[in-house]
Amino acid sequence: MTKTEFETAVREYQGMVYSIACSFFHNPAIAEEVAQDVFLRLYEGHRSVEAGAHCMAWLRRSTVHRCIDMVRRSSYQNEIQMETLPDIPVGAPETDPLLQEHLRRMIAALPEKSRAVLVLRFGEDMDVEEIGRTLQMPANTVWSHLQRGTAAIREKLMRRMKENENEPVRTRSS
Amino acid sequence: MSQFERDLRESLRRREPPAGFAEKVLARTREVRAHRTISWRWLGAAASVVLMIGATLFIQEKQRQAEGEKAKEQLMVAFRITGAKVRDIQARFDAIQKRVVYPQLNP
Repeated sequence: MTKTEFETAVREYQGMVYSIACSFFHNPAIAEEVAQDVFLRLYEGHRSVEAGAHCMAWLRRSTVHRCIDMVRRSSYQNEIQMETLPDIPVGAPETDPLLQEHLRRMIAALPEKSRAVLVLRFGEDMDVEEIGRTLQMPANTVWSHLQRGTAAIREKLMRRMKENENEPVRTRSS
Repeated sequence: MSQFERDLRESLRRREPPAGFAEKVLARTREVRAHRTISWRWLGAAASVVLMIGATLFIQEKQRQAEGEKAKEQLMVAFRITGAKVRDIQARFDAIQKRVVYPQLNP
């Protein structure tokens, strides 16, 4: 990859790299830091990376691994606890931004491997085999992380919604 | 696809990085390049210094060896001269001994 191709890659894939990091951490500042770091790594090794599909796969893999490394090395892993998330409004519309926000925070609270699998599956629209190749894990393991991650989020959502339904309405005077 | 999956996709949809992100990255690569150039310059200077010290030590060692060889040669010459002198003295001593101990042989 030449320097011109590197510049093109930065402009072309900045959204992808930033989105993966942002979905992973649910924190724009950290996402930007990770994304910049990934592109700097690409710059360091740009001679060994071919432009195009190879570069895109390299960036995806590097971003996810960088995110996982960062979670393991720092305190980000416990930054968001599911129990501390705000309640979901009952009867929220399907495209409710609050629900989307809630889902993003729940994904960011998952264990790093499950989080990576969910981000690649639903954010990057990759199939299980592709995710396996990217994360260097067997397809069965990917499938297992996917099931576990979605089940955890689904269960949490249902529980919160039930709790909200049963909770009496509070007024200012009470 | 279930509604839940649609919600997940929607919540993880692509987001645009902050404005000027690409420019920041390219600026950082320029910094890295500049830093690397400076590092190479320092490395070059350090290599030159090491080379000069090495060359000086090599020349000094060669000079020392040459001086040693010269001293060795001088010593060998001294030994040869001393040996010749000793042989000469020995010959004289033998001659005197013959005259003193066996005078009948030298009338």
